[in-house]
Amino acid sequence: MHSFGYRLNALLTLGVTTLALMCAMASFSDNFNHPSPSANVQVMNVNWFQKQSSGNDEVSLTLKISADLQSTFTWNTKQVFAFLAAEYETPGNSLNQISLWDSIIPSKERAKFTIHTKNKYRLIDQGSNLRGKEFNLTLHWHVMPKTGKMFADKIVMTGYRLPVDYR
Amino acid sequence: MDWQGQRLSEQLMQVMLLTFAVAAYLTGFMVNSFRLMMLIFAGSVVLTALISVPNWPLFDRHPLKWLEPSVAEEFSREHPQKPVSALAASGKKKSSKK
Repeated sequence: MHSFGYRLNALLTLGVTTLALMCAMASFSDNFNHPSPSANVQVMNVNWFQKQSSGNDEVSLTLKISADLQSTFTWNTKQVFAFLAAEYETPGNSLNQISLWDSIIPSKERAKFTIHTKNKYRLIDQGSNLRGKEFNLTLHWHVMPKTGKMFADKIVMTGYRLPVDYR
Repeated sequence: MDWQGQRLSEQLMQVMLLTFAVAAYLTGFMVNSFRLMMLIFAGSVVLTALISVPNWPLFDRHPLKWLEPSVAEEFSREHPQKPVSALAASGKKKSSKK
């Protein structure tokens, strides 16, 4: 504590260390949040369903996605990244996961929503296995923090089936 | 600053910073505002710097009594074998007062 510069340096160092500690505690406090999210997806329409020239099946869907992710937000949440994946099994792959739609939710107010949309990303199979296929639609979300640990979770919705014939 | 002042300044700095940090965290947590916590903390760093870093008079309440140069010279003349600081030895030659 001998000179002005010495004292200033000591203060700033302690300040930065304390800041790191506060951020760690803020991240830790996220563990005490027990979210209760809900989601529901309806396949409104199968727009078309074709085998492409590559030999792979492709299907276009119109979806109605409604979800309430408000309880996942904490004081330490920067945004929530949510995406909807179609999941099914084929003889070649034990699990196929195809992202159909995603969204960045920047605030708690925007976390409760219902949207009608065509799938944002194409649903193309590795092969030609989609006719009559049973699949799940899973809403995944990543709670991205302002500082610290990111939490990820999902809701699996089962019981969807693709048409038996191309259209 | 004198020695006591240095100690006071350091203690003041540490206590102020840590107390304000706890207060900032609790306030932010209660109000659910990360931004508020950061603002309070930034303000407290500035406040602590203003109070504990500059050389305020309150840190100079126990000044050290340095010896007068002439007294030091006199001492060294009476005790010629004792080591004498270069400053005192080559310092201004004042006529010694007895």
